[in-house]
Amino acid sequence: MTATVPPDERHEGAPAGRPERPVGPLVARAVVFVIIAGAFAWGASGLDASWARLRSAPGDGWAIFRLMWPPDFATELDRGVIGKVLESVYIAWIGTILGAAISLPLAFLASNNVSPSFIRLPIRQLFNAIRAVPELIVAVILIAITGLGPWAGALAIGLHSVGTLGKLSSEEIESSDRGPVEAVEACGGRWISRVRWGILPQVMPVIISYWLFRFEVNVRASAVLGMIGAGGVGAELISQLNFRNFPEVGAVLIITIAVVIFIDTISSAVRKRIIAGGAGDDQSRMAVLFGDLVGHRGG
Amino acid sequence: MTADSSAPEPAAPGGPGGRPKKPRRKPLTLVVVVGLVLWTWFTGRQVGFDLTTFIDLWTNPLWEKFWPVPWEWVLDRDNVIDPLVETFQIAVVATVVGCGLALPVSFAMSRLTTPNGGTYWVTRVVMNIVRAVPDLFWAKLLVTAVGIGAFAGTWALSIFSLAVMVKLFSETIDGADPRPLEAARAAGGRHVPSVRAGVLPTVLPSYVAYSLYIFELNIRASIVLGLVGAGGIGRVIEAQRQYFRFGRILGVLLIIFVVVFVIEQISVALRRRLV
Repeated sequence: MTATVPPDERHEGAPAGRPERPVGPLVARAVVFVIIAGAFAWGASGLDASWARLRSAPGDGWAIFRLMWPPDFATELDRGVIGKVLESVYIAWIGTILGAAISLPLAFLASNNVSPSFIRLPIRQLFNAIRAVPELIVAVILIAITGLGPWAGALAIGLHSVGTLGKLSSEEIESSDRGPVEAVEACGGRWISRVRWGILPQVMPVIISYWLFRFEVNVRASAVLGMIGAGGVGAELISQLNFRNFPEVGAVLIITIAVVIFIDTISSAVRKRIIAGGAGDDQSRMAVLFGDLVGHRGG
Repeated sequence: MTADSSAPEPAAPGGPGGRPKKPRRKPLTLVVVVGLVLWTWFTGRQVGFDLTTFIDLWTNPLWEKFWPVPWEWVLDRDNVIDPLVETFQIAVVATVVGCGLALPVSFAMSRLTTPNGGTYWVTRVVMNIVRAVPDLFWAKLLVTAVGIGAFAGTWALSIFSLAVMVKLFSETIDGADPRPLEAARAAGGRHVPSVRAGVLPTVLPSYVAYSLYIFELNIRASIVLGLVGAGGIGRVIEAQRQYFRFGRILGVLLIIFVVVFVIEQISVALRRRLV
């Protein structure tokens, strides 16, 4: 296309004609394409993905789902699958509460408008360090130390949540408006008053919505934790899959999907209300409610 | 805040110059707070919440087994480096496949650019269901279907990152400026060229940024895939934990930690420049 036009002729086209396409973006596009294609080829080379395997994989995957139909709910309900799904939800909830409770004070200490750099930087690195290790790996270690059970799972999820929530919350705190803080300062407020009355009311709605979002993520994480023995629905899935009881697997999957979607829907509705409030000038019930929770009356 | 909202009323409660009256808390608030506290207490009981575990955790003699790290074992090519490379390969391929497929699917799942209502609802329902299944469930299912190894893990992560990417990106498309699209349609453009010229350029930076984010997620996820037999560094951890070789596990963790940390820093720097 454009690449064939010699550079010195580029500005000499007919004045009313279509402007020439710049060459720079095309070159950049080609470079990006080559990099991605190269990375993909390198990656695929290590996965022993022969053509035969690639061709049969969708069929094999589909066969599994075919075998799951019709799902066997009766057996699964007898085996107490509801209790196991609920156990996953409990683990996620306690993990989120732990993460929220520990991360909130730490997030303030990690923010540049609240704390000095010799406190801030180590806490930041702590958040980064925690986030770099997946919760499942944390759970593997905790299970070795504390033994099997839901409490180990909740601890692992809580620990990981401290990292993610701490990072998100401290970013929110750093981008908060300085006005209220200056007002408190002008009234002679000490450090703790500045945080409590100047910053906390501003950032709390967003931080609470992060907590809820984390709870949604944690529900999935805790379902997975069962697979390595930390309690919850994952253990049930693993044992049924290992015995190739596909109708039971189907039932476990459907119940898990239903619970996860149910929780996601409620949580995202609450999050929307907290962040956006109701329509028009009226403050939504939910925003007022959560405003009350944190001592904030938005105007 | 309180002073602000009561300012327009001439006779503020408490008299002029006095302290403004504190707004009363609504009874519904109390109900919700009590409800949440009770629910938390109940769930705590259910998972066996136990503060003494916190204290016992640090004094547990097992921690000593994590030290010393056998570095000559950890830095050996066959033991750790090769599985780590495999982890990367899984993440790269899954990101390219997942994000590549996500581009058309996201346009189908956004109200702004969907070709018709049927496509919109079908993709939406399917993607929500796919996303509701945790990534390791997918991995375990696909290990059962296509056999143990990185191949199954790549499939699982491709599917899961497709679903997550579509969710993120279709919401960005929803928020895109509709006017270029309207202009393209008014000029007689067919559906796909109109979307291509009217919407894609405005959302492309977000697409690239989300892809990098998905890549970070996939790196983390591919680390744990091995715990269910789907390839990558996780299988090393799984094998060593069964023999209680905690020193080796710590060594692997430290390497993972450094690698993830470096990748994340690069990815964050790239994303900052993009958006």
